[in-house]
Amino acid sequence: MAEQIDLDNIPQAAVVPKKKMRFSVVWIIPVVAAVVAIGIAVQRILSEGPTITIVFKAAEGVEAGKTFVKYKDVNIGQVKTVKLSSDYTKVVVTAKIDKSAEGLIVEDAEFWVEQPRVTLSGVSGIGTLLTGNFIGLRMGKSKQVKHKFIGRDAPPAVTVDQPGRIFMLQADNLGSVGIGSPLYYRRLNVGQVIGYDLAGDGKSLQIKIFVNAPYDKYVTNETRFWEASGIDVSMGASGFTVETQSVVSMLVGGIAFEAPSLMMETKPADANAVFTLFRNRATAMTQHETIVTPYVLYFDESLVGLSVGAPVTYRGLPVGEVTAVGLEYDPAKELIRPRVDIQLYPSRFMSHVKKSAALDEQAKSEGGLRAFLQKLMDKGGVRAQLRSGNILTGQLYVAFDNFRGVPKVKIDWTKTPAELPVMPSGMEDLKIKINNVLAKLDRIPLAAIGEDMKKLLTGLNGLVKRVDRDVLPELKTTLEDLNRVLKSTDATLVGKDAPAQQEMRDALQEVRRAAQAISGLVDYLERNPEALVRGKTQEKSK
Amino acid sequence: MSPSVPTGIKSGFVLCEVCGLLTRPANVREPGRCPRCGGELEIRRQNAIQRTWALIVAAAICYIPANIMPVMVTSTLTSVEGDTIISGAVLLYKYGSWHLALIVLIASVMIPLAKLAALAYLLITVQRNSIKDQRERTRLYRLVEFVGRWSMLDIFVVTFVVALIQLQPLMSVKPGLGSLFFAAVVVLTMIAAETFDPRLIWDSSNCKEEQNG
Repeated sequence: MAEQIDLDNIPQAAVVPKKKMRFSVVWIIPVVAAVVAIGIAVQRILSEGPTITIVFKAAEGVEAGKTFVKYKDVNIGQVKTVKLSSDYTKVVVTAKIDKSAEGLIVEDAEFWVEQPRVTLSGVSGIGTLLTGNFIGLRMGKSKQVKHKFIGRDAPPAVTVDQPGRIFMLQADNLGSVGIGSPLYYRRLNVGQVIGYDLAGDGKSLQIKIFVNAPYDKYVTNETRFWEASGIDVSMGASGFTVETQSVVSMLVGGIAFEAPSLMMETKPADANAVFTLFRNRATAMTQHETIVTPYVLYFDESLVGLSVGAPVTYRGLPVGEVTAVGLEYDPAKELIRPRVDIQLYPSRFMSHVKKSAALDEQAKSEGGLRAFLQKLMDKGGVRAQLRSGNILTGQLYVAFDNFRGVPKVKIDWTKTPAELPVMPSGMEDLKIKINNVLAKLDRIPLAAIGEDMKKLLTGLNGLVKRVDRDVLPELKTTLEDLNRVLKSTDATLVGKDAPAQQEMRDALQEVRRAAQAISGLVDYLERNPEALVRGKTQEKSK
Repeated sequence: MSPSVPTGIKSGFVLCEVCGLLTRPANVREPGRCPRCGGELEIRRQNAIQRTWALIVAAAICYIPANIMPVMVTSTLTSVEGDTIISGAVLLYKYGSWHLALIVLIASVMIPLAKLAALAYLLITVQRNSIKDQRERTRLYRLVEFVGRWSMLDIFVVTFVVALIQLQPLMSVKPGLGSLFFAAVVVLTMIAAETFDPRLIWDSSNCKEEQNG
């Protein structure tokens, strides 16, 4: 340890000149570190997307830091916080959206919580069973940036980029239609119900439907929509009819549409056009009168069997219906007279008329229609008449028909509704005829005929008595004589010991004997035919 | 204090750190090279204070993102989650293992910070030629040097977990950017501890002695 060091012999180090640096190169390290750190920070700040707030009624399965915001199944952001609103009724979710998806956060973008949903019309969101619920985003069309949204309860049925059009249906009630209910065109599923809302006055319902392209072009202004839910059973003159759409629509309900075959319009309807939703196909196809003109008829007869809704026909084809049946005070005659209100549907009337382009034009204007009606009344002698539609129930309907030799009538258009001329019904005619027949029957002298008959019968009676008294005893003696003759005949001819019988028996015996003799002769001749020539020979060779 | 302590500098000697040859330096500023092995002679480590400061500053810069950014990114089917060191410790604490949380907190948050603080303290005292608590400061330095490598524990855990948990697509773990910075902090502080010359702690007392004497 304590080794003696020869201090004198310690060698001298060599001097190598060296550049002197005031600052060490080492300072590069913190500079680099700082640059990197600041660079990352700047990049983070620059790539910071917007933070949005979405208010949901309920946020099932939404967790801060775990739930994603997805658009087309691509993550575009993440939920940062989930809080209750200040009044504890809603859930406020804040989410940070990636910078790259910033453009999606516009005014009319829509958010909803995607979760597994099982409805009658389908199952959706199954993937979320594994991945957890997420917040879905539907792209908007607006360019206006917005950062506060109200979340939807359910995913929107239609995305913005889906081609097709939205239409509105007006209905009395929702029936069995719900969001997602299918839409059928010729039994083809072409769209769905995407929403419904009660009208402002609460008296009707607005159903929003989406028709996928290219089927949306089949929706014209004339198209009729009806509820295709369940089964529609109807009994008509043609028999028993059952109308259904697909089995799915029978279960979950749906809406079908079709244009009436008579309508030639093929121009597609505008988007958001409003249509009426009918209860079934039959009503949809018939109740489409856009022009309805009311008229009044004054019948001078009983209205028994005429009810509201009874058809109004022209030559048997339906052209309108009865809207009211009642009585009216007639100030001129100071009497109460029956009054029948009817509605005529010119378009339906026109639909029966072929080649009616000119007529169609005329029917479209009120004046033209009036002139046309007046002409019908004048030239054709058209009159309204009550007729019996059903003999059994006595239901009446109003029939317009042509009558000959009726006086011209001027329709007074100043009154509303205008009065149309009527004709006493065929029923009344029938009654009069029957009465005539009865009167004639009444005039037949039945009493005198009876008297004569009585006399005749008395005479007949005397005759019968005379026959009884005079003819019958003689007849009796004649019969007795006849009987005696028959008995004597019996004794002589038929009785056992009657001589005729005896003789007959003897004669028969004689005949038998003769027959035996002949038989013997024939026998002999057969054996000895020569006897015919030689005569009978004695038997020698015995 | 002992009145006169013989040191290499006072005696005009310098020890070659490579071959151990005791030499007389050419001059105090430029000790020159070892005549036997040619290694550069250093009376004190060159620019020790400046270098250590630079490394400490770099480590301090890295310390911030190391704690802010996620060290480990766990992605499962339902979520992608990044965990920072502190959030990991909080999570451990939440799940009831507070002692583990404490270990993580001490080993990964406190110790690097303490190292930085200790080195900074040593440098400042050296620069101010403090003669107080020289022994304690030397012990502190030894502690810093010793404890340095253990902070890499976190990085070990992350690398293990990343290698083991790769259950695509159910679950996978990826290292976060934070772990890179954390590793940088640890490495930089270790180098800083190396570049610092503990002899400087004692130099000031020698200077004082000289001034006194």
